[in-house]
Amino acid sequence: MRVVNRIHLLTVTALLLGCLLPGRSGAQEVRDTFPGIRLGLIYEAGFAPVLAIKPFTSRFGGGGVASPAEAIIARGLRYSNRFTMLDSLPASLLGEGVDYRLWDQLGTTWLLTGQVEALGEGYVLVLALHDVVYGEVREQDRFILPDPVSEHFRMAVHRVSDRVVEWIFDEPGMAASRIAFSRVLADGSIEVFVVDSDGENLRRITNKGTISKSPTWHPSGDRLAYVHYPDWEAGKIHELDFRTGRVRMLDPGREGQQVTPAYHPNGREIAFGLFGHNRTGLFSYDWELDCCLVHIQGGRWEDISPTYSPDGSRIAFNSNRLGTNIPQIYVVSSRGGQADLISPYTPGMAGYFTSPDWSPTGNRVAFHGRIQRFGRYQILVAEVAARGARVLQLTADGDNQDPSWAPDGRHLVFAGERSFGYGLFVVDAATGRIRTLVSNVRVQNPEWSPSLAESVERALRESGS
Amino acid sequence: MNHRTFVVTALAAVLFLGACRREPPPPPPEPTGPTPEELAEAQRIADSIAAEAARLEAELAAERAAREARERARAVLTQRIHFDFDMSEIRPDAEQILRQKVEILRASPNVHIRIEGHCDERGSNEYNDALGNRRAQAVVDYLTGFGLDSSRFATVSFGEDRPLVRESNEEAWAMNRRAEFIITAGEGDINPPGRSP
Repeated sequence: MRVVNRIHLLTVTALLLGCLLPGRSGAQEVRDTFPGIRLGLIYEAGFAPVLAIKPFTSRFGGGGVASPAEAIIARGLRYSNRFTMLDSLPASLLGEGVDYRLWDQLGTTWLLTGQVEALGEGYVLVLALHDVVYGEVREQDRFILPDPVSEHFRMAVHRVSDRVVEWIFDEPGMAASRIAFSRVLADGSIEVFVVDSDGENLRRITNKGTISKSPTWHPSGDRLAYVHYPDWEAGKIHELDFRTGRVRMLDPGREGQQVTPAYHPNGREIAFGLFGHNRTGLFSYDWELDCCLVHIQGGRWEDISPTYSPDGSRIAFNSNRLGTNIPQIYVVSSRGGQADLISPYTPGMAGYFTSPDWSPTGNRVAFHGRIQRFGRYQILVAEVAARGARVLQLTADGDNQDPSWAPDGRHLVFAGERSFGYGLFVVDAATGRIRTLVSNVRVQNPEWSPSLAESVERALRESGS
Repeated sequence: MNHRTFVVTALAAVLFLGACRREPPPPPPEPTGPTPEELAEAQRIADSIAAEAARLEAELAAERAAREARERARAVLTQRIHFDFDMSEIRPDAEQILRQKVEILRASPNVHIRIEGHCDERGSNEYNDALGNRRAQAVVDYLTGFGLDSSRFATVSFGEDRPLVRESNEEAWAMNRRAEFIITAGEGDINPPGRSP
C-alpha cells in the first residue's frame, strides 16, 4: 500500500486526484473528474494519545489468562487507530504498583492495568484506566471472562477493549465485532465465511456447493441472513441463527429472485431487491410477523443493495434507472416515495457507483465507484445531506469494492485487489491507515457486524460463566 | 457283393415287402407348375413388400430429417448470446440468433425456457446481479415483443458468479457477458421453424 503523508493529504488532495485520474481521449465526450470528489479523510488527523498497558498480573489461578487477555486487548486498541500504543514492556522495568512519574516520563497519557483471577468455571479481569497526567484512576471495572478454550473467550476480551475506547472517547469501539463475507472457492462455488475484527477465528458458515452470498447481520448480532441459490435456481434469502444453528428461508409470498438483503434496525423487517416478471424493485417484509410485503421502489430497472439509516427512517440503495452502465446511489424514505441521488452524477459523465452502506453515525453513506468507464474502483463516502455535492475518496491504490462500516462509524472493511492478490482490508477513515484482514482469498460483499458486546454478554450469562 | 447279387437281393426284399401289403400304392401325382394366377399373386406380394420397404425407408429418412431438424432447433434454442461491456442492449449478432429462436418457439408452444443473465467479473459483484437480470429481461422483452407468451419464460441472474471462462482477459470477459437458455419444459415438443405444432 502506498504510504501517503497524512498530515499533508488534505491539502494536496485535489492535485493528487488530477494525477490519479488522467483524461481520456476518444470520440465520446466523457469528462473524467467530478468536482465533488476529493481524496481525503473524514476527520481532521487528530492527536493520538499514548496509551500504555502494564503487563497484567494474576492471582488465585488466573495465571494462564492474564497474558493472552492482555495481548488481545493490546491488539484491539492498536487496531482502533486511536492511540499511540506503548505495550509489551517488560514487567521488571516497571516494578510493583503504578509509578505515575515513571509513566509520565515515558510520555504516557493513559495507562491500563489489569489483574486476572479464577472465578467458578471462568475468570474475572479487574481493569483500571489510569489518567497519568492527573495521577489517578479514571475508570475501573470487573469483566467476566470464560475459559480461554471457550468459543466466546476472544470476543469476551474484545468487549473489554471497546469499553476502554468508550471510557476515553465516549464513542463506540469495534473490537467486539465480526465480518461476514462470501468467498469464491476453487470449484467455483461461493460460500459465506465469518472472521473476527482482528482477523482471527476465520470460519465457514455455509456448505451448500452452489452460491451463498450477500451476508447481512441482524442488529442483535445473533443472526445472519444471506442469499442462497438452491440447485442453481433463483436465489432466496436464508437466515442462520447462531444460537440454535437453525436456518429458515424467507417466503414473502411473491415469486422471483431475491437479492441483497438488509435488516431494518428494529430487527423485525428485512429489505431486499426482488427480480421477477416485468417488475423488479425494493421490498421490505416483516419477518417476525411473517407478513406485510411493502414495495418501496421499482420500475423497469433494478433497485438493489438497500441499507437502512440507523433510525430506520430512510434507505440508501443502488439503481440503474439512468442506464445499466451508470448505476447510482439514491436515498428514499423506508416507506417509499421520491428518491434523491447522493452519488456525484452529472449528465454526460461516465460515473459508476454501487454497493452503498449507511454509516452508524447516520450522516454518511459509503459506496464504491469508478469515474472512468474502464477505471478501477475506489471507496467513496458521501455526506447524505449534501446530495452528492460532497464525496470523499478513501482509497487510491488497486481495486476496492463493497465497503461496510464498522460499529465505530470510523473504520470500513472492503474487498480489495492488490498486486499481491485479493483480500479483505480495513481502512480507518480518520487516519487513512489500511490493514489486511484476510489475504489470498477471493472475497465478495463483506459486511461488518454490529457490536457483539451485548451478544457475548448474553452468551456468557447463558453458559453460566 | 457284386451288382448281380445286389439286384437279386433287392428284388427279393421288394417281393417280400409287397407280399405284406393288401393294395398296391397309388401312382405318384403328375408334377404341375404354378398357375398364372399364382404367379401374379406372388408378384403382387413381392411388389407390395418392396413398396412397404421403400415407404419405411422414406419414413425413416423423414424421421431422421425431422430429428435432425429438431436437434438443430434445440441447438438454436439453447444457443447463448453475448453482450457489450456494462450493457444490456441486444446486439445485432444476438438479434439474429433470437429471431431464429422466435420462429422455433412459435412452432413449439409447449416449450418453456429459463433465461440466465451473466456478467464478466469486472463490475461490482452485487450490481452484476442487477445487470445480469437486466440482460435476461432484455431477452424476454425481445421474445415477447414477437407475441410469445411471457409465462413461457423465467429469468435468473447469476451476475459474475458463474463465468464460462475463469480467466481475466478481454476474450474471457466477452465470453462471460452472456445469456444462457435452459429448456425447462416441452423438451420433447420442439418443432423446427415453420412446422405447425
